[in-house]
Amino acid sequence: MQRVIERLLNLLAFLLSTGRPVTADEIRYTVAGYGQEGDDAFRRTFERDKDLLRRLGVPLRLAPTDAWEVEQGYVLQGEEYALPDPGLSDEERAALWLAAQVVRAGGQAPDQGVLFKLGGLPPMFGGAVLGADLGEAPGELERLFEAVTEAREVAFAYRGKPRRVRPYGLVHRRGHWYLVGPQRGESEPRAFRVDRLSELRVGSRPGAFTRPRGWRAGDAVPDTPWQAGEAATEVTVRFDPEIAWWARRQLGREAVLTEEPGGGLVARLRVASVEAFVSWMVGFEDRAEVLQPPELRQALLNHVGLP
Amino acid sequence: MTRERTAVRLSRLLGMLPWVIAHPGVEVAEVCSRFGYTRAELARDLAAVFVSGLPGYGPGDLMVAYIDGDEVVVDLADYFARPMRLTAGEGLALLAAGMALESSGAAPEALRSAVAKLAAVLVPDDGTLAVDLPPAPELANALNRAAEEGEVVRLVYTSLGRGETSVREVQPWRVFSTLGNWYLSGHCRLAGGERVFRVDRIREARPTGERFTPPAEPPPATVRYAPGADDVEAVIRLGPGAQWVAEYYPVQVLAPQEGQPVVRFTAPDAAVVGRLLVRLGSQARLLEGPEAAAAAADLRRRLRRRYGTA
Repeated sequence: MQRVIERLLNLLAFLLSTGRPVTADEIRYTVAGYGQEGDDAFRRTFERDKDLLRRLGVPLRLAPTDAWEVEQGYVLQGEEYALPDPGLSDEERAALWLAAQVVRAGGQAPDQGVLFKLGGLPPMFGGAVLGADLGEAPGELERLFEAVTEAREVAFAYRGKPRRVRPYGLVHRRGHWYLVGPQRGESEPRAFRVDRLSELRVGSRPGAFTRPRGWRAGDAVPDTPWQAGEAATEVTVRFDPEIAWWARRQLGREAVLTEEPGGGLVARLRVASVEAFVSWMVGFEDRAEVLQPPELRQALLNHVGLP
Repeated sequence: MTRERTAVRLSRLLGMLPWVIAHPGVEVAEVCSRFGYTRAELARDLAAVFVSGLPGYGPGDLMVAYIDGDEVVVDLADYFARPMRLTAGEGLALLAAGMALESSGAAPEALRSAVAKLAAVLVPDDGTLAVDLPPAPELANALNRAAEEGEVVRLVYTSLGRGETSVREVQPWRVFSTLGNWYLSGHCRLAGGERVFRVDRIREARPTGERFTPPAEPPPATVRYAPGADDVEAVIRLGPGAQWVAEYYPVQVLAPQEGQPVVRFTAPDAAVVGRLLVRLGSQARLLEGPEAAAAAADLRRRLRRRYGTA
């Protein structure tokens, strides 16, 4: 393995110091570690080396070697290779390390190799914190994040329809990731659940849009599921005493609460998604009741249906 | 396998070099602790650097890297003076972890500034990414303290299944958040085994003053559902508006019928399945499971009675 490490260091050193596109042949005859191999052996070795470097995040690109664009060569530019220095202190590194330990994605901790790029693990100072799991990261999350950071348009299928979206941002809430952005021809951003979109294609042009100044992705995904949607209805609900404490914990900040003498709770809130609201209400079984408006009482009964 | 080990080794090496270059005179012990090296491993990596460099590969072209007593020396390696950028996946994972912890209110102050600095180099502006855990309920912090201190707590708990309220003594192990809820794992004396409780269903938690020795390796912070002997099974066909069930719950996916997915749902209590069926309404069809059917019918009946239509 020692020779492989040396060869890869030689390759990186060469590419980083020339900064211009170099052909595979030039690499073969210039970089120590490749020269003594036959054609096929060289091709295999070089392919494997490129794969390994790309997997580590080395932004190796193909580019024409001259203005006539006859030959393609590999180029690695320092600015693309290097991490802009975030200027972390050791205390900040430790805090990030701790966060990466306790916040997992589907049981997986973020790769510790990341922290080596940021300056390694400083001597730890303690502080136990609560654990958390963000749920398994949906497959397309990384590509979407790239599209968001580079401001590229995306196209995908969602609920059986093709969509074109300017991806303003990503939000993780209530255990799910959402892509937020306006569809083509619209100005109001919408939220799309990342695990439900498919056939993702990312546009080739970076900087394809600009976000409105001061826009925040977090504001585009509602706090409680029944706030999602357009027209909102004012609803009054009664919760029985034995579950009032639990309902109180779940109601969003906007709900207006009135306590009843017996320990029950009456809440007035705004509901935009009737479907989500009815589904939530069923969770309280028969220990909660929609009081107003009559249409929503009826909607709940319709939903409950016949035996 | 070897390629994997090569990748890991190279990634650590390319992180270590810039650090040493930026901190001339740094000691072996510090480099080893930061990057998880033994002295021998570090010496081996430095030896690889020592014989590598630029074409020509003469004395002026090769890098200089060795251990001098307690000191790590690296020179003539300017092209490795800066660490490699984070990949999209790495950057996102780290930012998400940091932002999540920050949102729970359980983060140290340094995390706030670390996340801000990292976001500044990774995302166009700080509004583009939001990662929220549900806010940790007050009880979560008290329970976490009890877990850290190894103190038995007495819980008033309302179960998700039957909605029954019980009082139980629990040795708390870990408080964690997943899928939008907060949970407590621990040894429950009432159940005589490991249990996971939803924190929002804990009405009251009182410290008892009694101490216990926490397990050396508490189980990971996940909600695992271990099937039991008294489980209820139901086979459900999911309509277009109910497909999330297959993603959200740990169900077994069976062969689709009439173009719709079919899942086998297992729960410790028929009431859980019954409630799910009523919740899904016309979007789900129960194919098998008499207990679930009875529980759903019972809930529908009770709801209609509540609304005065039965």
